[in-house]
Amino acid sequence: MTTHLELELEHIKSKLFEMADCAIESISKSVRALKDSDADLAGQVLREDAILDNLEIEVDNECIRVLVTRQPAAVHLRLVLAIIKINTDLERIGDLATNIANEAINLHGRQPLKPLIDIPRMAEIGIAMLRDVFTAITEQDAERARAVISRDREIDTLNMQIYRELFTYMAENAHNITQALGLIMVSKALERIGDHVTNIAERAIYYIEGIDIRHTEE
Amino acid sequence: MSDKIVAKNLTFYYGSTPAIKNISLSVRANAVLALIGPSGCGKSTFLRCINRMNDIIPGIRVEGDILIDGESIYDPRYNVTALRRRVGMVFQKSNPFPKSIFENIAYGLRINGVRDRYEIESIVERSLKSTALWDEVKDRLEESALGLSGGQQQRLCIARTIAVQPEVILMDEPASALDPISTQKIEELIQDLKKNYTIIIVTHNMQQAARVSDETAFFYIGDLIEMNPTEKIFTRPDVEMTENYITGKFG
Repeated sequence: MTTHLELELEHIKSKLFEMADCAIESISKSVRALKDSDADLAGQVLREDAILDNLEIEVDNECIRVLVTRQPAAVHLRLVLAIIKINTDLERIGDLATNIANEAINLHGRQPLKPLIDIPRMAEIGIAMLRDVFTAITEQDAERARAVISRDREIDTLNMQIYRELFTYMAENAHNITQALGLIMVSKALERIGDHVTNIAERAIYYIEGIDIRHTEE
Repeated sequence: MSDKIVAKNLTFYYGSTPAIKNISLSVRANAVLALIGPSGCGKSTFLRCINRMNDIIPGIRVEGDILIDGESIYDPRYNVTALRRRVGMVFQKSNPFPKSIFENIAYGLRINGVRDRYEIESIVERSLKSTALWDEVKDRLEESALGLSGGQQQRLCIARTIAVQPEVILMDEPASALDPISTQKIEELIQDLKKNYTIIIVTHNMQQAARVSDETAFFYIGDLIEMNPTEKIFTRPDVEMTENYITGKFG
């Protein structure tokens, strides 16, 4: 039996999934704009961020409405609480993608320091984690959400590797500093995206199992 | 905090049919326990077992036991009149006596042997104050209680209950016939009263259970399915049947 409340929750969930699609698009486009030195594509990412911002407000409002009118309990309550928080993480991911797009615009037209390999790799992992965490939510699969959390280390490792490499470039030649700093900002943004996806996975586990695993590791 | 009420394998029969089956639970002193469950699940029957209100129904039978402060209330030597003084009850429909507001409260005191006029007056005032009714009725104590609003009548019944200083208060859907403001007053009163009393409330309103109780017990067709802290029941119940009930997926 599907209740009216469940239909409303499905509707909010579909909006959240729409936000996830937008976030994935933004990460993918911003890193491609950087890699291909495509300022137009970067500009598109900046413009499209408004879609995520608007969806964030819509999702929040719908969650408030459901809380007020339906007083959800148990799994329904956990879903609404999780969505309110995931919503913020997705909006922040959108902002971080615009940071990357801004760096793509700043670095546009400069001779690249080196071919970009690790940064696109970080983006790929981040996107794969995002896809996985939303599959975990759909299938109510807490194990899949836990696997997402453990993948964040791959992103952190790549981030440190990129830092070390870029420090070498800066030490070798002061003319590299502007570009290297730009790439460090990008790497940092991708590392933060990994953290936000980890948050989403933690909220997914709260929704599915009702347990709060934040700040329990290390 | 010690256990005030302990039910031990309590089974209650109307004729040959068990209305509640093998119920074991304990209620801490000064806690509020909410009993929830669909109609006919046995929650009111269980409530009425605690002050042996069911005794007046012919053909009933009780197995197991209920202890209050460690003492069996189904022991044949137990004084049932004393039990009902210790365990007060408030019903769904307010039932003031067709007497004055003052007499509604004084009556219980007099039949319990309080004779001193000054003492009676002071208990009446104290009871009406602790149910937040004093300011509303202090100038018309001699008027008929039937002239009060439904919410005021219900608070008067609670005042009448606490006047004889019970230890436990049983409430059977005390706010189900009241408007939202009166309901809120009753709910706030429950929160205030738990400082001095142990309260068990039957309610069909799950938000009410969530608002007023420390622990919630879910009954279904005579079985106690789950009892847990209220916050846990409404965020992460242990039993799927509880989850289905509180998320409205029953039927």
